[in-house]
Amino acid sequence: MAVIGVGRFIQQRQDFEDAIARSYQVEMQARQRLAGGSGSKATRATVVGEGERRRELRDEISADTRDTALLVAAGLIAGLTGALLLFSGLISSMRRPLEELVDAAGRLAAGDRSARVEVGGLSETAALGAAFNEMADELEREASQRDQLDRLKDEFVLTASHELRSPLTSVQGFAELLMLDRDSLTPKQAETVEIILDNCRHLVRLLNDLLDLARSDAGRLGVTRQPTEVAPLIEDVVRTMRAQTEGTHQKLTQEIETGLPPIYAEADRIRQILVNLLTNAHEYSPEGASIEVAARVAGAEVEIAVTDNGPGIPEQQLEHIFERFVRGDAGLTQRVGGTGLGLAISKSLVELHGGTIAVESTPGVGSTFSLRLPVATRVPGGETNRTTAEAG
Amino acid sequence: MTRVLVADDSETILLLMRTRLEMAGYEVDTAADGQEVVDRWRDGDPAQLPDILLLDAMMPRKSGLDALRELRAMGVEIPALIVSAHQDATDADAPGELEVSGYLDKPIDFDRLLERIAELTSDRV
Repeated sequence: MAVIGVGRFIQQRQDFEDAIARSYQVEMQARQRLAGGSGSKATRATVVGEGERRRELRDEISADTRDTALLVAAGLIAGLTGALLLFSGLISSMRRPLEELVDAAGRLAAGDRSARVEVGGLSETAALGAAFNEMADELEREASQRDQLDRLKDEFVLTASHELRSPLTSVQGFAELLMLDRDSLTPKQAETVEIILDNCRHLVRLLNDLLDLARSDAGRLGVTRQPTEVAPLIEDVVRTMRAQTEGTHQKLTQEIETGLPPIYAEADRIRQILVNLLTNAHEYSPEGASIEVAARVAGAEVEIAVTDNGPGIPEQQLEHIFERFVRGDAGLTQRVGGTGLGLAISKSLVELHGGTIAVESTPGVGSTFSLRLPVATRVPGGETNRTTAEAG
Repeated sequence: MTRVLVADDSETILLLMRTRLEMAGYEVDTAADGQEVVDRWRDGDPAQLPDILLLDAMMPRKSGLDALRELRAMGVEIPALIVSAHQDATDADAPGELEVSGYLDKPIDFDRLLERIAELTSDRV
């Protein structure tokens, strides 16, 4: 390209010089004719000759100047044309590899780990391409290492949960065995066995929560949804929680709107979420506090809200409340025996149902956790449907 | 008397199961893995065969599900409860033809276990 440009430039310059030479010849001939016709009057001839000579000289100088200017202009134009041609050649030889690079970078950013470019062309673009490929190789290596670590972590949690369950089964089983013959135990012994059983139940909860989180991370946490009545579900949870809230003289009430439509949900999972929320309200609120479960229609959803008049949650904790292992101030009450996983799991479960969970809290006034779940509508081709969490 | 064959690789759990089941009035036989369960039908005393199986899902040598698969292939029609430490393993591996009568999680809810055994063996006594 560049060679062709220079060749064209030389040719153009030659043409131009020929043209200048031709115009110079024409001018010389005209001058000779002019000089021949002015020699008839002698007296005037000297004066006129003087003036003529000066004019001629001036003409000659200005002609030279014009020629030079023309030459310079022509040179400039030719130079610019050449440079332009050279540049366009350069640009087009860089553009293709650059376009390829931009395309590959876009694919890489979009998650295509196999995106690479063909290395070639100018040395600079070739180096850029090679550097890009190296970076993509490195990214791919890191991503596959991360995937492998994630898999190992999930496997570890599953195995650990499995291995811990067998000894736990024995501990809980034998403690229960002792309690079957409670009358033969002294009050002190019975109390000790109760403590063992309490802690077993806590461990089981922790293992179940960990298992749910590992399933969620591995994309295997699933819900089997079907039209589910809300009122019996809430009544059932409130009944099972009452033993605990009565132990601390807390007032547990329910406020269920009449004629609630069924929600599209897995009853056991909604029960699990409500138990989580009520257990939190119970454990973080002082003795004698009030806890209310309310349910109402909100558009195409049913809203279930758990409200307490406990100490509330400080603002800086509120934004992290649904993250794992984030717990309220445990110094507040010695009763708090949560795992720090309940709200994280509740959030995953609510989202698997196509719903949302939110919290509102004012320190010193209380907290409200509310979930919204879609109302069951007729589903063509069956009434149940299994949704599984997406990995990652 | 209804005879229950319990298979688990933990001796402690076998002792626990034996105690609870005997307290409820069952005759209890134990096995350390799935192979021992299958061997009861291969070369055991036919008069001593159990009425119901209680199999741990994960055992060395032969799992509870593999043992059940072999028994079903031999034409043995016995109710079987699978005890598993995590549901994930059993959800995927148990096709319908194994005719599993039910699954129980560890730690075992004995009230529920006794209830299920009573239901599954009521027509046999």
